[in-house]
Amino acid sequence: MKLSDVVIGVSMTMLAVLISYLMVYGGLGPIASYSLRPLATSFLNYTYNPWNAVYSALSPEAVTAIVWDFRGLDTYFETSVLFIAIVGLVALFRGAGIAQGISSRGLSIIVKTSTKIVAPLILVAGASLAFHGHLSPGGGFQGGSFMAVAMVLIAITFSIEFLHQKGLSLSTLLTIRCVGLLAIAVVSVYLLIKAMLLGGSAYIFQNMIRMNSSYSMPSWFIDRPLGGTLFFFNLSESIAVIGGLTLGAILLLLREEELRAVIGGEERE
Amino acid sequence: MPMNELLPAIMAFVTALVSIVATWLAVQEKDLLAAVLFSALQSTCYALIYYLLMAPDIVLVYLPVSVGILPLITVILVKKTERYEE
Repeated sequence: MKLSDVVIGVSMTMLAVLISYLMVYGGLGPIASYSLRPLATSFLNYTYNPWNAVYSALSPEAVTAIVWDFRGLDTYFETSVLFIAIVGLVALFRGAGIAQGISSRGLSIIVKTSTKIVAPLILVAGASLAFHGHLSPGGGFQGGSFMAVAMVLIAITFSIEFLHQKGLSLSTLLTIRCVGLLAIAVVSVYLLIKAMLLGGSAYIFQNMIRMNSSYSMPSWFIDRPLGGTLFFFNLSESIAVIGGLTLGAILLLLREEELRAVIGGEERE
Repeated sequence: MPMNELLPAIMAFVTALVSIVATWLAVQEKDLLAAVLFSALQSTCYALIYYLLMAPDIVLVYLPVSVGILPLITVILVKKTERYEE
């Protein structure tokens, strides 16, 4: 018995005990100590304050309110950086496509069956993270990357030709990505355009009513807070991320022999 | 200090120790596929520490990126090059 085996065994046991204990402990009540409560109160004063909507984002989830409302332009440029990376990847792999005719059978039936059970669960978990991003921890990028992991799992288990046959070709994924980014841009200037057409004043990335602007995004859905732009931003961002990350992974998964014929070129002396 | 407030700090300390072990194993391992798995174990420990430091949003970003996408890209890289380090 080697030393590394012992170390691995002890570490894994400790981690399993810790995770199980943490689940019980976290389920019994909040981990935070009482001395930290005033900090949370001061944040919630600006993120969820229905009595004074002028200074509030009307979202109980402080992180999403800060990321998409207080510093929305910053997050928009972060999304653009990811988009530029995807554009670079697409430019590098230009001309490459999923070859038809070479039927790949994917992995064994055991892996396929367990993926059929697990992948929908991951998709639903990612979708709930994205749709409830303004109410609980989570958000567009988190939900989108969860769903992208499920898509890549399907692509590896059932082969990339399977996804292509189901209609998710490379250009479709790029279109999904662009539609998500376009939706973010439209939501960010929606109130500005509305104010231009109807008169009055508004701002870029405006969420609720402000000091000298009476326009506001919808803040309640029946009896739940909607957070105005936050819900739409999360939705669009998750669509953009699922398209972009799946496209990147599928491009990297393309077989090298087929790629050489397209992008290899000739050896230069 | 009451035990109730000290406990998360102790748990974060033990998790950090486990992550150091995982990092050491990932660096030592000659089989690169196993090294990717050890790296994912280290990421899991970090996610646990983020949870103990009360940053659930970071946990939710960190999990799919470091346990899902980063090992995926590394495994593709290993598949297209060589599996064993010399």
